[in-house]
Formats: sequence, structure tokens, C-alpha cells
Amino acid sequence: MAAAALRPAILRHIRLSPAMAAPLVGATAAGQPLALARWLARPMSSHDAHLTRDEVVDRVLDVIKCHPKVDPSKVTPEAHFEKDLGLDSLDTVEVVMAIEEEFKLEIPDLEADKINSLPLAIEYVANHPMAG
Amino acid sequence: MAFTMRAVKVPPNSASMGEARHRVFDFFRQACRAIPSIMEIYNLDDVVTPAQLRASISQQIRKNQGVSDPKVIDMLLFNGMEELNNITEHAKQRHHIIGQYVVGHKGLVQDLEKDQGSSEFLKKFYTSNY
Repeated sequence: MAAAALRPAILRHIRLSPAMAAPLVGATAAGQPLALARWLARPMSSHDAHLTRDEVVDRVLDVIKCHPKVDPSKVTPEAHFEKDLGLDSLDTVEVVMAIEEEFKLEIPDLEADKINSLPLAIEYVANHPMAG
Repeated sequence: MAFTMRAVKVPPNSASMGEARHRVFDFFRQACRAIPSIMEIYNLDDVVTPAQLRASISQQIRKNQGVSDPKVIDMLLFNGMEELNNITEHAKQRHHIIGQYVVGHKGLVQDLEKDQGSSEFLKKFYTSNY
């Protein structure tokens, strides 16, 4: 109880100097210039930070190529999971789950059932506001 | 207590093959979404990747590919759900998960093949009714 009362009192007297935050920003800038540009455009916002379409295509293709049953040379942005890549329905669900994991999404079951080809998957991820 | 009650609840039987099939995919999705928390609970980050666990789950489902009776599928789903609940409730230990889903049958089969190839005595031993 006493600690809880003390906490705001202490916090009121503590000021974090902006100089401490500067090296952090510099570190992220070196690693991912794109992320920094987004952060500068609208600080602390999770919106308007969409992935570019090319980025989405690249990452989705990488995910599909990593699947053990897929021949990486057959993977194109136009491929159909079952017709072109030779996956069955369970593999398709598995691939969609891998895409969910990659982009940190949770695709509702009804939507996930409809995704049966790469164009649909790319379309869904590119239009999803929370894809990251 | 909570997990026993959840395990006891039985959904009505699937009316058709299509519904049973759909339930299998729903179960698979649910299991896949539990993977990150399972990896955290059992400290699996250094032995397996989420993709390998996904493949292992789909392999388990594929074992019963040939089943054509919706009631049997429902029963298998019930077993699967029970197993998933047990795993996510931490009713198992790390070596259970590793033995069953990370190493799998492959480890045992490899050993068996090696022995069978190397020794005439063992070949005869395996075919005898020991």
C-alpha cells in the first residue's frame, strides 16, 4: 500500500533526459532504415505503417519455399497451392498458418478457408492493417 | 478442474463428412495457434522450430487419412483435443513432448533399421516370435 502511494510521488520528480533516448534511435536506424522512416512519419502509431507490397510478396514466397513439400523452383506469385504446388488441403491450412506466424496475424477461419492460392494470400496480407 | 471439465464436454456428432473434415482443419488451426505458448511452456526453442511442430501435428493427422466414417473422425478429434488440452495445461513434461513430437517415430525406426542391417543374428531375432 505504502509503496503504491510512494510510486507516483517518486515518478513526479524523475525526468528522463531526451539524450538517453538518442542512442536507441540511432541503433534502430542502422539496422532498419525503413522502420525509422515510418517511426518518424508518425511516432508511436501502429497505423499507416503498412508493409510495402514487394516486401509482402517476398516474405510470403519465402514462407512457401520453406515448406518441405514444395519445390522452391515452382513457387511464383501466381501459383495455386493445390494445382501448381501439389499441396493437399491439410498442407494448404499448414501454409496459411505459417503465413499467420510470419506476419503475426490471426486470420479468421472463414477467411483462411478461402485462401487457396498465392495471389489471395498476398492480397490478404497486403490489405491487413496489422500485418507486421 | 477447469481442464477436466473442458475435456468432458462433447460436441454433437458431425452430420456429414464435410463437417467432420472442417472440424479437422479447425482443430489443426487451434493446435497451430497453441504452438508458441507450448514452445514457451516446455522450453522448446533450442530443440525445434514452430514449422517442425506444425509438420509433426499434420503428420499425426495424416496418419488417419483413410478414415471415412464421420463418427470415427469425431472420436479421433476428441482424442486429439484431449491431448492438446493436456499439453497446453502443462500436464506433461518436456521429454514427453520431445519424444513424441520432436524426435517422433523416426528416431526409433532409424535405430531399428541400423540393427537389422548390421547383424544376421538380430535379423533372425526380429523375425522370430520373441
